[in-house]
Amino acid sequence: MGLPLFSAHGDPGPSFWHFADSAGLTSAPNATPSDFTHATTVIAVRYQGGVVMVGDRQATGNYIASRDVRKIEPADHFTALAISGSAARAIELLKITQLSFEHYEKMTGSTLSLEGKANYLSPIIQRNNLISPLIVVPLLAGWDESNLIGRIFEYDGAGGCYERFDFATIGSGSPFAEGTLRLGFRSDLDREAALELGALALYEAGDNDPSTGGPDFVRNIFPMMVTLNEQGFQELSSDEVGERFRVINERRTESGGVAGGALR
Amino acid sequence: MSNYFYVAPEQLIKDRAEFAQKGIARGRSLIAAIYDKGVVLVAENPSASLNKVSEIYDRIAFAGAGKYNEFDRLREAGIRWADSTGFTYSREDVDGRALANYYAQHLGDMFTEGQKPLEVEILVAQLGNKLRPTKLYRVAYEGTISDEPRFAVLGGDSETIKTRFALGEESVQPLNITLRNATNALAGPERTIPATDLEVGILEDRGHRRTFSRLSDDQVSELLG
Repeated sequence: MGLPLFSAHGDPGPSFWHFADSAGLTSAPNATPSDFTHATTVIAVRYQGGVVMVGDRQATGNYIASRDVRKIEPADHFTALAISGSAARAIELLKITQLSFEHYEKMTGSTLSLEGKANYLSPIIQRNNLISPLIVVPLLAGWDESNLIGRIFEYDGAGGCYERFDFATIGSGSPFAEGTLRLGFRSDLDREAALELGALALYEAGDNDPSTGGPDFVRNIFPMMVTLNEQGFQELSSDEVGERFRVINERRTESGGVAGGALR
Repeated sequence: MSNYFYVAPEQLIKDRAEFAQKGIARGRSLIAAIYDKGVVLVAENPSASLNKVSEIYDRIAFAGAGKYNEFDRLREAGIRWADSTGFTYSREDVDGRALANYYAQHLGDMFTEGQKPLEVEILVAQLGNKLRPTKLYRVAYEGTISDEPRFAVLGGDSETIKTRFALGEESVQPLNITLRNATNALAGPERTIPATDLEVGILEDRGHRRTFSRLSDDQVSELLG
C-alpha cells in the first residue's frame, strides 16, 4: 500500500474502519455459511466500582473445535469486547475494534468516550449482519473515565446498541446464565460478590447448554474472568478462576447435582 | 495562444529549494537523539495541542518541522499506512524504513511536480529490537532521505544547532543529559527555554507493546533538574 494521503473533502478522518473500508481492507461478506452457531456464554455484571465479565472457552461447530478460545479481549486499556457468533467474523470485528480505538487515539491525541466506543461498533455490526448470514453479536463493557462508573453495552443482530444497567449475556447459554443472574443480582454488589455471581451463572450455562464449556478439571481449562474498573482491564489468573469453580463444583456435588433451591 | 518563458531546470530547482527553505526556516527547530535506552524527540513548541512530535506505531515516532498543516497531513497518512500494514500482515512487519521511503517519494514528487514544494522537514524514528535496529531517518523537503547515526536536527538554523548539540553529546548518554543538551542546543547561548515551551516524546521499552510516550511538563522539568 502507498502513502494514504487524502484531500480535505475526501479524508476519512480518524476512523480506521471507514478508511479500511474505502481502501478495500475489510472483507465483503456474502457467502453462504456451512454452519451457523453462536455457541457461547459470556456474562457481564455491573458492580459498585466496575464490571465483571465471565466467558466460556469452548468453540463449537458440529463438534468441539477448540477448548481454550478466548472470547473476551481488551479492546483498549479500559474496555473489553466479548464475542459470539461466527468465529471468523467475530475475530475480525475484535481486530478492527482494537485497531480503531488505538488509531483514533493516535490520530487525534485523545481517547474516545466509552459511549463513543459503543456507538462506533453499531454500523460495523449492522453491515455485517444484514449482508452476511455469518452473524456476530458482541458485548462491550468498560470503565467510563469521565463518569467514573462501569458500563455495559449490548447489541442486537441489526447493530442496535443498548446500555444495560444491571447485567447482560450473549450466546446460546444466555437463558441459563440469565436465570441465575436475575435471582442473584443486586444493585449494591461489590467486586467479590459480582465475581461469585458471574462464575455461578456461567457454571449453570455450562451445565445446561451443550455448546458452552464449563470448568474443565481434567485439562485445567477454566472460563475467563476479567474485571474492568479504574485500574483498567484485569484478567484473573487461571489458578484463581479454577479455585472459584472448584468451590461451586464441590457444593454442587454435596447437594446431589442440583442447586438445591438456594443460589449457591 | 499564451507564451511560456523558458526557465532552465537548474533555475527552477533553485527557486523551489529557496522557497521551501524559507518556509522551513520560519518555524522553530527540533532535535531527535538516541539515548542509552531509546530515542528522544525534543521540539520547541509553545502550543500544547498542535503537536510536532507524535506516535505512529508501536516502535515508530514522527516529528515534523516547518508548516504545521503540511506535516500533520503526512503524520496522519503515516498512522494510516502503519495501522493498515499491521492489519494486513502483522504488527512486526511495520517497518520505519519503508515509511520513510514513502515520505521521501511523496516529498520528491511534490518538489518536482507539485504546485509548490512542501515546506516541511520530517523525521521517522524507530526503536530497535531483535528484528530491526534503532534508526533516525530524516526526510528533507525535496525528498532526500538520510540515515542519521546518532541524532538529527530539523528546521531552521539546523547547522548551528547541530554543532552546539554535538559538543555535549560525544557518546550515547542517559535521557536527562541528552534532554538537557538538546534543550541548550535549541535555546543557544543567549536564552533559556522553559519546560512549558518544550514538547518531548520518547520511544523506550517499558514492558508494553506501545513504546511511545509523551513527557509532561513536570516530567521534563524534573529531568532538566
